[in-house]
Amino acid sequence: MKTNKNKMMKLCALVLVAAMVVMVFTSCSGSKSSEASTDGTAATTAGKYYASDATAESIVKDAAAKGKVGNWGLGNEYEIQALLSKFGQDTKYLSQAFDMNGFDDDSILLASAMTYNELGLVKNSYKGGYKYGDGVKYIDMNEQGVAMLEDNLFTTKKFATENPNTTKAFIYATLKGWEYACANPEEAAEIVYKSGSSVSTEHQAYMAAEVKKLVETDTTGSAVKNYGNMDETAMQQTLDLAKKYIKLSDSTAASKLQTLTLNDIRDTSYLKDAAASAGKFGKLEKTSVKVQLKWLPQAQFMGYYVALSKGYYKDVGLTVTIVPGGGDIGETTAVNSGQVDFGVTWVSNLIAANAGGMNLVEVAQVFQRSGLVLVYKINK
Amino acid sequence: MNKKKHRKITKDSVTSVLYPLLFGAVIVVLWQTQILHKILGTDTFVLPLPDRIFTIIGDNMGAIMENVKATVIVSLGGLILGSALGYLLGMIAMAFPKWGAGGLTVVSAFNAVPIIAIAPILNNLTKDFSEDANTRSMIAKTLVVTITCTVAMSINAFRGFTELKPFSLDLMKSYAANKATIFFKLRVPNSLPYVFTALRVSVPASIISALVSEYFAEYIIGVGRQIRENIVLAQYATAWAYIVVACAIGIVLYLILLFAEGILLKNRRPRWKSV
Repeated sequence: MKTNKNKMMKLCALVLVAAMVVMVFTSCSGSKSSEASTDGTAATTAGKYYASDATAESIVKDAAAKGKVGNWGLGNEYEIQALLSKFGQDTKYLSQAFDMNGFDDDSILLASAMTYNELGLVKNSYKGGYKYGDGVKYIDMNEQGVAMLEDNLFTTKKFATENPNTTKAFIYATLKGWEYACANPEEAAEIVYKSGSSVSTEHQAYMAAEVKKLVETDTTGSAVKNYGNMDETAMQQTLDLAKKYIKLSDSTAASKLQTLTLNDIRDTSYLKDAAASAGKFGKLEKTSVKVQLKWLPQAQFMGYYVALSKGYYKDVGLTVTIVPGGGDIGETTAVNSGQVDFGVTWVSNLIAANAGGMNLVEVAQVFQRSGLVLVYKINK
Repeated sequence: MNKKKHRKITKDSVTSVLYPLLFGAVIVVLWQTQILHKILGTDTFVLPLPDRIFTIIGDNMGAIMENVKATVIVSLGGLILGSALGYLLGMIAMAFPKWGAGGLTVVSAFNAVPIIAIAPILNNLTKDFSEDANTRSMIAKTLVVTITCTVAMSINAFRGFTELKPFSLDLMKSYAANKATIFFKLRVPNSLPYVFTALRVSVPASIISALVSEYFAEYIIGVGRQIRENIVLAQYATAWAYIVVACAIGIVLYLILLFAEGILLKNRRPRWKSV
């Protein structure tokens, strides 16, 4: 009996030890991954990245063959897919998290980045930055001819028709805010930071300077003077690429997508009237409106925060509430359901939403060129 | 006697199957006729009609099955690993009863860690496990499911090993049975119903955690991921199609479990009732 008890104890002890070994092993392999990543950074000199004079085509082909092209997905991937197709590659990509750790640890060789956000984090050395500086280069979607327009201002067709004066007044004051923000990006960054920023002051200032470029330069690199302009060529290119790369499983929505024209997704009349007005709009149908941002409060949306803080909205008789986005908040759904009156989204998201049955209309195009780039490390 | 018993079971099973089915049918009718939309104050955009949802499922069977496969592999893999680990922990706790029960309380604290917190962490930890993004994100997702499934099993297995029928342990001892015999002849059979109790909790939990962990995975595949992608793109009809598929996976796996339970525990049940 005694020996049996001992045997049992021994058996249990063995099992316990085995369990511990398994645990130690798993945690070891966990820590190994961080070791390997530091090795990876050190190996930069060995030439595992790209030559600084490598062509966009050779880089895209290499990264695609290795399956190491990253994007966030969720409607942000079409320009990347268009670029992959342009160079005859499969349109599959890795799901990239909202930080740049995947790029840092080399699990992604060609990572998606917005010029005003992730690219700054990768290059710069302020808090949260990855300090790569000149060690990285990027492929610009505008230069590659696959640019799709991003941040716009939209509402529902119903709201615009029923509240034309409110819509015009909101566009007018918003664009005035953008104009001031682009003239004074540092002050704009400060205003956004005070309004509940999600990032540091330094990054906010970097972002404001980069966003200014997107608002004041078009896809061909020429300067844009009329803020909010809906450029026909760029809009058409966006729609054409959207029709090609937005894949909808719903056959009703998929066939509707193919029938969409520019007139189904944008209306230039409100912008024209707003520009022609001198800030006078007659009686406003609705004086209190909400605008839904696509993401957290940051200089990407500085025009709205500046218009609010400088009193431009108040001047035209509007009380405006800015609703920050973030995570999976669907700005198209929020506007469509009437929770908010206006929204900021990417044109491709608006196209997908209208194909799915929403009746949204773009009333101004804030960003005149694509801010999306593919960033890669270069051999030193 | 036998006949009477048979009829009773039939009546029970008829009502237990018929009532939920009738309820479901009523809901579908209300849904299709848009009365449900009026009750909930919603529109056919956010809550598309069933015929549209089923058309989408029919049109995309191939793509849907690919995603179902990914989700089922993760949830079953995690369920098996987690349950095995939980059973083992239950055994360890039984062998050292003094601190075993307390130890299980500590283990159950793991259940309080939300999936959305551990999924990204495991994603980062498993980055070096494989060169292939699909494989390593499968591993990460399976580990998340494993963690969610371990606790229920360990607590139930511990109870199954220790909450024995009165006098059965004394009986074994009076036969001078050693610990191993007691374990295999008494404790293991006694733990079986408890294992199934644990599985009834773990099977739905494994599917839920598989769906959620797909949100954070590096490789874009799975029913949960499709729900998210389509909702963000405002494709509610397609998202609903995947929600229906997710429900179907849950129901099918649960039915398989009940079926297995019916076979394995058939001989035990009457004796249980008579005790």
